[in-house]
Parts: sequence; C-alpha cells; structure tokens
Amino acid sequence: MQKTLIKFIPFLIMASFLTTGCAQTGTTVPQLIPQHGTSGGSRIQDRPYPIFVGNVSNVSNKAKVIAIDVGKGADAKTHLVKFDDKTKGIEYAVVGHASIINYEMRGGEPWATVIKAKLAQLPSGVTEIKTTELKSLLDQGTKFTLVDARPAKRSIEGSLPGAVNIPSDDFKAQANKLPESKDELVVAFCGGPT
Amino acid sequence: MSTDIAGQAKKMGYKNIKVYLEGEPAWSKAGYPLYASNDFISKGNIVLIDLRSVEKSEAGRIARSVTIPSATLKDKADSIPKKAPVVIYSDSEDEAVSAMKVLKEKGLKKVALVPGNIAGWVKSGGETTSGPVVTTIVWKRQMEKGEVSITDFLKVAEGSATDTVILDVRNQDETTAGMFKNAISIPLDQVGNRKGELPKDKKIYVHCTTGARAGMAAKDLINAGYNAFFLNEDISCKDNTCSVTE
Repeated sequence: MQKTLIKFIPFLIMASFLTTGCAQTGTTVPQLIPQHGTSGGSRIQDRPYPIFVGNVSNVSNKAKVIAIDVGKGADAKTHLVKFDDKTKGIEYAVVGHASIINYEMRGGEPWATVIKAKLAQLPSGVTEIKTTELKSLLDQGTKFTLVDARPAKRSIEGSLPGAVNIPSDDFKAQANKLPESKDELVVAFCGGPT
Repeated sequence: MSTDIAGQAKKMGYKNIKVYLEGEPAWSKAGYPLYASNDFISKGNIVLIDLRSVEKSEAGRIARSVTIPSATLKDKADSIPKKAPVVIYSDSEDEAVSAMKVLKEKGLKKVALVPGNIAGWVKSGGETTSGPVVTTIVWKRQMEKGEVSITDFLKVAEGSATDTVILDVRNQDETTAGMFKNAISIPLDQVGNRKGELPKDKKIYVHCTTGARAGMAAKDLINAGYNAFFLNEDISCKDNTCSVTE
C-alpha cells in the first residue's frame, strides 16, 4: 500500500506540473492526491487507472475523439482519446478547459472512462468573485485592479473592461502592473473555471 | 492561471485578492462585452467595423475601418468571414453592445469593442482617417502552425505528387458520398491503430470537412514521427468531386 502511494505521488505531481491552461499547477497537487489516496486504501490497488491531465484542445463528436494536450511548450504532446456512451463526464471535455481524463487501453488505444474538470484551488485567504458582483464593482466605479492572467495573444483580442494583462507565466516581469497600495483590491481572472 | 496570479500577489503582500474563477467565458456568456487592445485594433488581423452613419464615418474614423451602419448590420453580417476576429465601434456603447449580440448570433465567435468607442480611441491618441468610406471586407486568415495551404493541398489532391499523400480522416458514411481520388481513407477514430498504413518518408496532407478532425489527426501523426500537415478549410464532396471553400 505504502509503496503504491509513493509510486503515485511523483506521477501526480508531474502530471499536474505538465498541465497547461487556467488551472493553478502547484496547488492542485494536494487536491489530486486525496482523490486517489484517501478514497479507501484498497482503491489504489483496485484502480490503477492511467490518466491524462491537460488542456482539451479539440473534441470531435463525429469521430468520438478528444484531443488533450499534455505538457508545456516544446514538450507538449497531444493525445487522442476515444469516448463512447459509457464514458462518464463527457460534458467536462470542453475545448480550452483543463481536464483529467481517466482512461483504459482497449485494442491498443486509450478510451476515456471518466472525465473530470481539473478544478483550480484558491490560495488561502483568497475568495472567489462571481460575474454579477464583478459587474457591479465595475458599474459602481470601485477602484480596483482587474488582472487578465491569460496569454497576451488572447488578452489583446478582447478582455474585460479596464483589465491589465499579466500572463501568469510572466508574473515577475509584469508585477509592476499591480497597484501601488497593497490594500487595494486585486481581481484575477483567466479563460475558464479550471 | 488566475489562481497562480492570486497566489503570487499574496506573496508580494497584497491583502485583498479575489479570483474570478469562471473567467472570461462566463463574462461573455452573460452578454457582457470584451474590449480589444489599441495595438490589436491598429495592427491585428481583424475586421474593424464602424457602426455609425456613412456621414459620420466619412468625417473621421479609425484607420482600416469598414463602414457598416448598425441598421444594415444584420443584412451585411453574412459577408464577414466566420473565422475573422471582429472589432466594432460606434458613438454609443449601447449600440455597440447590441451590434456585438447581432454578430454573435450570426455565428461570429470573436467580437470585441473599441474601449470608449470612437471618442475613447481619439482620446487615447489613436490614428483616424477621413474621406469616402470603405464597405468591402478584405480579410485573409493567417495559417496556423502545421497547416497546409489550399493551393498546396489541391496540387496533390487533384494532381499527382510522389512525395506527398492525402489522408482523409472523415467517417465511412462521409467518404462513401465522395472523396478525393488520390486520398487514403482512415477515419480519425482508427488513425491510432492504422498509422502503419501511412508512409513515413512522405509528407501527409490531412483533411476532413472543417479542419477540426484533420488537425487532431495531424498532431497525432506528428507525435508518432510522421511529416503531417492539415487543411483547415471546409470541404464538401459529392460523387467523387470535392470542393474546398475558404
């Protein structure tokens, strides 16, 4: 049991770091481990499902295939995973969203068994804001800094009103776009819930 | 990665941080507009639309604008290439937002506004032009990485090439209705298992009906060491004649 767990953790950490997209890579690790680790010790041995963690780059309903990009930059690799009527959570296979695809090999090809959204975890002390609340902050003219964390290429095409772009992979170089006062409200967003 | 930014801002000492987890998709879905950056408006590969009257547009508009007064937008919307990012402006925010909704209903996915409309543009020091308005939309899509041009594709599909093959990844019911005579047919869901039927020493041009499946197949083939490219255009086939529409 202990051995299996140890074998799993480095893989999960790696899989999580390889992920691209909206999800926060580091903080999802603690969330991922309990999924496998605390849901009953025996399940780890019972369910050695391989997984793909990454960004869904394409879904073809005609061919019933999902393309998921695993890895970043030059190391990114696109995997094609088939799905059928038995695949659970197909609604989470949305282009541009980060997903976890559990799969099994059938006839030498990966078939999706369970698809989950890869949810981001908020750092402690940070709260979530919903659309209506954000809209009223903007309408009321509240002084705050709205940060678009998406890549510059996406942000320049169209962003929320008054947002400044700080791509998350270039935070250090562009952190000067944050307000001078550490008490001012900062609202960060990107391209999706995951 | 909004939560990543939040975490880093917290480390820097920011005390009041919120994350809009649902992000841009939820904002757009609620019917609220997005705003393009000035740089994108002046240099991007876009269709820039002035929604005001011809008279106002003649007197002064953003350089590169096409003039389509709001009242005529519904009729003209079909002439805008579906894949083009569209940026619109007016002298009224309400009018611009209504126009955005019209364009989205017409199937245009990327529609953004000019911050502050024409007044905002002038105020930010943006360039304007005047004189007779432009009404013809000229827009050409820039090819993505890994795409093959229509010209190159058709040279192989309709002619003969010894160094390139055409791979058709549509389903069998689609290929029976018609396909390029030189094409090899392997439906996308079988590409994984049937790669061996393809030559590794030749270029492979992949097509489907819209480019979506072809793109997936090409990436998969590239991963496996093949020299594959995909056609990102609409194709329809009937009786062994296929036509490509840009």
